[in-house]
Amino acid sequence: MADTVKITIDDIEHEVPAGMNLIDAAKLCGVDIPVFCYHPKLGHDGNCRMCLVELGLPRKNRETGEMELAWFPKLETACTQKTCEGMAIRTTTERVTDARRAVLEFLLSSHPLDCPICDKGGECPLQNLTMAHGPGTSRMYWEDRMHLGKHVALGELIFLDQERCIHCARCIRFQEKIALDPVLGFDMRGRKQQIVTSSTPGFNSIFSGNTTDICPVGALTTADFRFNARPWEMVQVATICSHCPVGCNMSFDTRTDRLAGGRTTIRRVMPRQNEAVNEIWICDKGRFARHYMEHEERLTTPLVRKGGMLVEATWEEAIREVAAQLKAAGPNIGAVAGGRLSNEDLYALQKLIRGQGSGDLSAYLPNATGGEIAARFGVGVGTNLKYLGAGDAIVVVASDLHEEAPIWWLRAAAAARRGAELIVISGRETRLDVEASQSIRCAYGAEVATLNAMLGSLPKTAVKAGESLDGMAEAIVHAKEFTADAALKAAAKTIAGAGNAVIFVGSEGLTGEASRELAQASANLLAATGHVGRANNGLIIVWPSANGQGAADMGFDPGFGPGYQPVDKPGRSYGDIFAALADDVIKVLVIAGADPVYDDLTAEESIRKTKGFIVVQEMFLTETAKLADVVLPVQSAAECEGTYTSGERRVQRFYPAVEPLGESLPAWLITQRIGEVLGQGAPSVSAAVLLAEIGRNVPQYAGITCQTLAKVEEQFPDVGGEDLYYGGTSFQNVRGLGVQWPTLAEQVDAPLSVAPAQAGEVLEPADGEMIVVPVTLVYDTEALFFKTQLLHQRVPLPHIGLNPADAGRLDMVDGDLVSLTIDDHRVAAAAYLDERVPSGVVTIPRRLQTQGAPLFATTAPVVKLEKVEA
Amino acid sequence: MIKEAFGKGVAILEGLGTVFKHVFEKPVTVQFPEEFKPFAERFKGRHELKRYENGLEKCIGCALCAAACPADAIWVEAEENTDEERYSPGERYAKTYEINMLRCIFCGYCEDACPTEAIVLEKHYELSFTDRRDAIYTKEMLLVPPPEGQEDTPRKVEPGSFDRSIPVMEDPK
Repeated sequence: MADTVKITIDDIEHEVPAGMNLIDAAKLCGVDIPVFCYHPKLGHDGNCRMCLVELGLPRKNRETGEMELAWFPKLETACTQKTCEGMAIRTTTERVTDARRAVLEFLLSSHPLDCPICDKGGECPLQNLTMAHGPGTSRMYWEDRMHLGKHVALGELIFLDQERCIHCARCIRFQEKIALDPVLGFDMRGRKQQIVTSSTPGFNSIFSGNTTDICPVGALTTADFRFNARPWEMVQVATICSHCPVGCNMSFDTRTDRLAGGRTTIRRVMPRQNEAVNEIWICDKGRFARHYMEHEERLTTPLVRKGGMLVEATWEEAIREVAAQLKAAGPNIGAVAGGRLSNEDLYALQKLIRGQGSGDLSAYLPNATGGEIAARFGVGVGTNLKYLGAGDAIVVVASDLHEEAPIWWLRAAAAARRGAELIVISGRETRLDVEASQSIRCAYGAEVATLNAMLGSLPKTAVKAGESLDGMAEAIVHAKEFTADAALKAAAKTIAGAGNAVIFVGSEGLTGEASRELAQASANLLAATGHVGRANNGLIIVWPSANGQGAADMGFDPGFGPGYQPVDKPGRSYGDIFAALADDVIKVLVIAGADPVYDDLTAEESIRKTKGFIVVQEMFLTETAKLADVVLPVQSAAECEGTYTSGERRVQRFYPAVEPLGESLPAWLITQRIGEVLGQGAPSVSAAVLLAEIGRNVPQYAGITCQTLAKVEEQFPDVGGEDLYYGGTSFQNVRGLGVQWPTLAEQVDAPLSVAPAQAGEVLEPADGEMIVVPVTLVYDTEALFFKTQLLHQRVPLPHIGLNPADAGRLDMVDGDLVSLTIDDHRVAAAAYLDERVPSGVVTIPRRLQTQGAPLFATTAPVVKLEKVEA
Repeated sequence: MIKEAFGKGVAILEGLGTVFKHVFEKPVTVQFPEEFKPFAERFKGRHELKRYENGLEKCIGCALCAAACPADAIWVEAEENTDEERYSPGERYAKTYEINMLRCIFCGYCEDACPTEAIVLEKHYELSFTDRRDAIYTKEMLLVPPPEGQEDTPRKVEPGSFDRSIPVMEDPK
């Protein structure tokens, strides 16, 4: 604590960090200064006047030349002050309490006082501060209060109550400073001042729900929670978001519901504070896309195909059937597991399949691989993107973070605004380019070459840090074969010179092999420049699903067993598994938590062709489940417990919030019951016991238990603690921050090595062909996500992104039907002209077209489809 | 001796006097259920959910009664009013309102907590059940019928006519 200063609060001297916001500093000293507009994440605005204090600063007496404390004649707002030596404030004098009372009387002059029906009532800063500091009565005329809209839709997700609004501008500032979607603003002045949205559709931001959390009154409410429950009635259950690899800490606020037959139901989803992961934010997908968990179409009994039809069966029957098929197939079995499964589910499944002698295990989507590289060169323990700023570098390669991992986008953009160098390397322009200090466009397929060229361009002095690593010399020699232009050289220099550097490794358009090479190339660059093995340095893989890292850790990779232990006989990759299935080499395929028939152009054909036996573990009768021989109903993440491993390798636990639906079981238990019939031993007693088993068998997870996952630390700034100023108790994290497991690079004398990253082929479209790139959208028609009616308006119509120049060449305008033919599959959708799509490339959103999309970038003939007359 | 006997005789006569006095008094027995006993002014019996004079429900589903209830006897679930289907003034109404009369201790805290004076402990006390489930009084059982000539809820109303949930307060005197 080198730079601390002494300040005096209410005649008591305290030592606090220098230059800190006075409100935060006072809070550190245990003095609460009430606020409405100030928020530690948003900074000061000074508009609510609630934080008025008496302020004194040291001043030189002109006569005596001595320093003395000079008090300001009027009260000052504490939120606009930074701590400095000798500063003194008084927060309890009569002037201050009078001022607070007056401010509250003024704020309440038009407030409707409909606390009994207000959704914020019970966790409302205005309510709490009025009770603590406010007047008992008002001197205003009741008739003079403004009568304004109580139900103004700012969009279909967020509603504004204009009467309750106290114009603190927290929502506006959040949208401008943090979400970077400046779609809210003030209209008019004085008493007529109102919040308005300027976008179409209204409040067009994927972070809109956060404004309701930070709103200090009940002015902003979500469509999801309007009049849904009172805050004190709900029980908060800690959970982890299962939609993307960020692993946001959330809580399900639950309550029993008569209308749901007395079941416990989830009433809302709130963020839990974890400064290292999501701070206090979550995206709207995480907040609202939870309705699948209680959807009426959920499967509640096992289904077994009899006479060509899927009919309801008992668990015993279904499990016996699956076990018999597995037994008959011997080692000719495989499994494809989606990244929504917990570590326990994945571990049990791989144990079942490997126990039968097969290594054909693939994670789904199969684009992202390289978990073993993340295990060696991933970001160090204690990494917090919040601490990246001036002098640091963040590289995002082959990923559209805004769509794939919204909170990482938010935090990367915030780091860039703090002064970090943000380098975006991708085939097309994305939203992050706006914030980037350097945008590098490379051809699809040339990502590895680009990173290699960057490494090759570095002078010997810049790569000194990685010299001693095994294989680094070869990697650098290999990298020198690639030529770097001035932009790449500059980018490489930035990374080499950065204090801290993090690379987000995406997989847009990449095959599994290519993304492994890309991770390797990223690791080489980081290791060479010394950016591995410590906090805030290393690579993060942007997995296409929540538990992609966990799936890789559990051995859902053809080349590795659990914990990246070598295997005797490598298994088949995703494509080979389906090819083998079509050829009836694989006789039983278990598909868990994945819907390849819907997402993948080619999987359906293999499944329809095969004589093999398809087992699907799912919550819904998905397109894949419809073709299965046995469908086993699994519990959603709200019903069972387990752990997810985020892209930053943080293992985090989620807890059961509601009762299981019907006869559904946790996926791991189903798998282990099948294993029991096959003689693999009795199922675990609980997911926690299974986690302990993982700890014994997966080296990285050694020591990770429910106890360590439940540890909490004090978060700074503490939002949602006892004081309730900032936005309700829901923010407080009491059920654990998770454990980030260390990389190999952090261990002393670890056998660490790098290898040259092999650049793949750049796609060369033939005449009449274009490069087709599957891209990920945050809102799509995925079976789970699309069950949330609330967000349907935000899901774009099926479209194919096309550069206007290409469209001109094809004689097309926006909205014309465009058709692609990929391996005899025709995909047609409306053309969406977008200048950000490079010429010669079409983008096709994954899980939006009913015909499916290719899994990897490919080339295909693109033609305009004449409108078919109905 | 005589004096003593005389004294006892007087005592007997006094006792008999009391007996005969009561013989000619009006009996206190109430012929329930044909007859009802008069209530004390502050008697707290079974609850009623009141309505406004225009027939709209006073209850806005705020669940403050449930929060105040020391016996956890009240269960409220709220929904949003629309002008097409209006139950109460303002945006919120009670979709579910239940009181478990076996749990209720008739303390009247719910009445105190109610911001719209919707729940009132009335004089009914005939609460007997043959099944514990029957002890749960639903909203239909608690809600009083609409006043003479007024339509029942839900009803369709002119947009904007009932957009405030809390009765208009007067200026502080």
